[in-house]
Amino acid sequence: MSAFSAIGEGKEIDRNDYTPGLEPQATWCPGCGDFGVLKALKGAAAELGKSPDEMLLVTGIGCSGKLNSYFESYGFHTIHGRSLPVARAAKLANPGVEVVAAGGDGDGYGIGGNHFMHTARENHNMTYIVFNNEIFGLTKGQTSPTSPKGHKSKTQPHGSAKQPLRPLSMSLNSGASYIARTAAVNPNQAKDIIVEAMEHDGFSHVDFLTQCPTWNKDARQYVPYIDIQDSDDYDFDNTDRREAAEMMHETEDALHEGEVLTGRYYVDSDRPSYQQEKRNIGEMPEEPLAERYFDDSYEWERSYDNFLDKHK
Amino acid sequence: MPADFNWAIGGEAGDGIDSTGKIFAQALSRAGRHVFTSKDFASRIRGGYTAYKVRTSVDQVQSVVDRLDVLIALTPRTIDENLDELHEGSVIVYDGERTTMQGVEIPEGMVGLDVPLQSIAEEKGGAIMRNVVALGAACAVADFPIEHLDSSLEKRFGGKGQAIVDNNKEAARAGRDYVHENYDHEFDYDLETTDNDYVLLNGDEAIGMGALAAGCRFYAGYPITPATDVMEYLTGRIEQYGGHVVQAEDELAAINLALGGARAGARAMTATSGPGIDLMTETFGLIATSETPLVIVDVMRSGPSTGMPTKQEQGDLNQMVYGGHGEIPRFTLAPTTVAECFHKTVEAFNLAEKYQTPVYLASDLAMAVTEQTFAPEEFDMDAVEIDRGKVVDDDTIGEWQNEKEQFKPHALTDDGVSPRSFPGTSGGAHMSTGLEHDELGRRTEDTDMRVEQVDKRNRKVETAQEREPWAYREFGDTDSGNLVISWGSNEGAMVEAIDFLEEEGIDVHFISVPYIFPRPDLSEVIEDADDVIVVECNNTGQFADILEHDALTRVKRVNKYNGVRFKADELAEDIKETLSQEITA
Repeated sequence: MSAFSAIGEGKEIDRNDYTPGLEPQATWCPGCGDFGVLKALKGAAAELGKSPDEMLLVTGIGCSGKLNSYFESYGFHTIHGRSLPVARAAKLANPGVEVVAAGGDGDGYGIGGNHFMHTARENHNMTYIVFNNEIFGLTKGQTSPTSPKGHKSKTQPHGSAKQPLRPLSMSLNSGASYIARTAAVNPNQAKDIIVEAMEHDGFSHVDFLTQCPTWNKDARQYVPYIDIQDSDDYDFDNTDRREAAEMMHETEDALHEGEVLTGRYYVDSDRPSYQQEKRNIGEMPEEPLAERYFDDSYEWERSYDNFLDKHK
Repeated sequence: MPADFNWAIGGEAGDGIDSTGKIFAQALSRAGRHVFTSKDFASRIRGGYTAYKVRTSVDQVQSVVDRLDVLIALTPRTIDENLDELHEGSVIVYDGERTTMQGVEIPEGMVGLDVPLQSIAEEKGGAIMRNVVALGAACAVADFPIEHLDSSLEKRFGGKGQAIVDNNKEAARAGRDYVHENYDHEFDYDLETTDNDYVLLNGDEAIGMGALAAGCRFYAGYPITPATDVMEYLTGRIEQYGGHVVQAEDELAAINLALGGARAGARAMTATSGPGIDLMTETFGLIATSETPLVIVDVMRSGPSTGMPTKQEQGDLNQMVYGGHGEIPRFTLAPTTVAECFHKTVEAFNLAEKYQTPVYLASDLAMAVTEQTFAPEEFDMDAVEIDRGKVVDDDTIGEWQNEKEQFKPHALTDDGVSPRSFPGTSGGAHMSTGLEHDELGRRTEDTDMRVEQVDKRNRKVETAQEREPWAYREFGDTDSGNLVISWGSNEGAMVEAIDFLEEEGIDVHFISVPYIFPRPDLSEVIEDADDVIVVECNNTGQFADILEHDALTRVKRVNKYNGVRFKADELAEDIKETLSQEITA
């Protein structure tokens, strides 16, 4: 008897299989970049042959948090900022499941910033997509952690006095082993990057520029965009930390000067994931721990008497 | 000769007080004596008064008393701190050669044993063994065969090599011999030994053991006094059974990690103390609304804010019963003894999964730092049953799908309990959310569905109220009109207080309540009693408030909130005095 027959089934999947039977019409604003994430995620999951039953999509609060409603899979819509600990624990308990977390820039870089740093530091084997629109959208247009300096809003009427957070640099310094930036206006690159992120064994961070045509008209549409891997103007080795760090810094500055740079910024395929590190020191079971509960032959209690002996 | 023997070693933090006390407690346990230990300690690594106290008897001991028979004092302050507990004939062992102890005055009527602990230790191989010399001296006073110390010393120092073990054994014997040779005093103690087999453990360890027995295979936590021992107990053990412990970046992460582990299919738990509960309360509503089973342990300490981190209090009851915005269905259990910490943990997991509801397990510092002896049979692993509730697998999932083959994680059922499917189960894909939702887990603001889902979640608690026993524990004279009620760790002190009261001709009926929500209906027994006293370690009487509400009457209260647990003899005095008083509203 098993409860996990969907894992690794290798079914033929069509991207439309991720469209739920209910609520197919997303309530995001017309022209919202979030549609781009949804489309890219469906394409990536289909390309990898992950069935909805073997995927867990964990979201936070904000416009991005509605992703679960429009993407058919196991989904858990958490509270503001807390998607990462939920997601990474699910992966630890049930490692055969494809785990993707998603949330906005406020959710991931603001209220959930500590979890972002530590999930990256620990290099959990999962994918994190941050819908970065440089604004709080669902609460109607307040300044966010990635809003540029001088950004005016109802909460910062004289313009934000704060430097925006540098998502890519923070990710690198924290320890993420796959870091990319893409944009909703670039659907093919976005899909390819999410495929790579999901396949990567370690913490994959995708900073996904999602234009907000309603509350952040200043950010325009993130066009024209440049793929740094395709452009002849940029030549760097994205497996080299120092070169990656410089490229990230330049990219973060360029965005606020109107130049949208995207691509793969850092890839470290050698660093073991949290799971692997823990397995190496005997602190992570070889067999998925959630499966044991369905193993009829497993003796639950019989061996505990030796615990008591330690207290004599 | 008193039936019980009360011993303590006190000094400054960093003096090795804790490990010395533990060696003695273990030696007594291995000699077939019952032991109940307690600690006075401060939240710092070095400096500050600290003491480890051991009460021992051939009968079960379940409380501390206000009496100290033998005190090993490494500092003058140790004597001052314990003046109330010392009595005529009490023996104080001290090292008169130690600079700070020179000229120390032994209170009148007590016996001072000046033993050159440090010099003897140095002779036997190192000053570091001076506490062991003191243990030897204590053995001489208590007429406790020194051989019983040996196996404890081996357990403590075995990892450092046989030579170290042997030195310690010799140091202990030298301490004993020094007393025999230099003091001709007839000591009034004789610690007899028995062949009984006991285990010695504290409340945090019992919770950890209960979690393992209950099939908990995922634990996430963040270090905090006095809950850290739960995590340390599980670490290194849970892996042997295919589980995993995560040390989280903060308590917000800890509870969300536990939640993630539970959603993915594991039995999951986190443990913390008050400040951590504050943070975890953020996620508490999500756990309940998404109908995820989770066990959250609150090993209470003195609050509010950072309060007194190493002191006893039962101040979080309201937080566990009412905490969180909105109305949150939950269970709150409060084990009443160290052994019950094991059993209630097992029960907490079964309740959580049968009713897909978060469960608070309320323990406290007094239980966390108490090492207590029990017969091993009290931890009957064969009696542990694991009930995972309505979990669907590949064979049963079809029963819970709608006509479009969509799974209904929040199906409206008669008993309120809906099915659970874990990621990876074919046909079980669904979403769940902290938003109000329909049967499929999709967000909704439909007025009818809102009411139906709220009712459904609360119906689970009603179902549990009907199906589960929610029994309380009774002691003393059940016909007595003097009713005493307490919850959690006060049970031991109150059970022993009954004996003290009996000596003064006062009968009491004592009810010890291990369930705070839902809880047994005590309204009739309260109504039938002449006097009702509710005993708890907090200022306002949080449980008393609840019982007054249940029974629609006033009760008397005995509250203690100075940071020290109830002592049996002191509690007996409090009860006696309170019985004679009128109720103050």
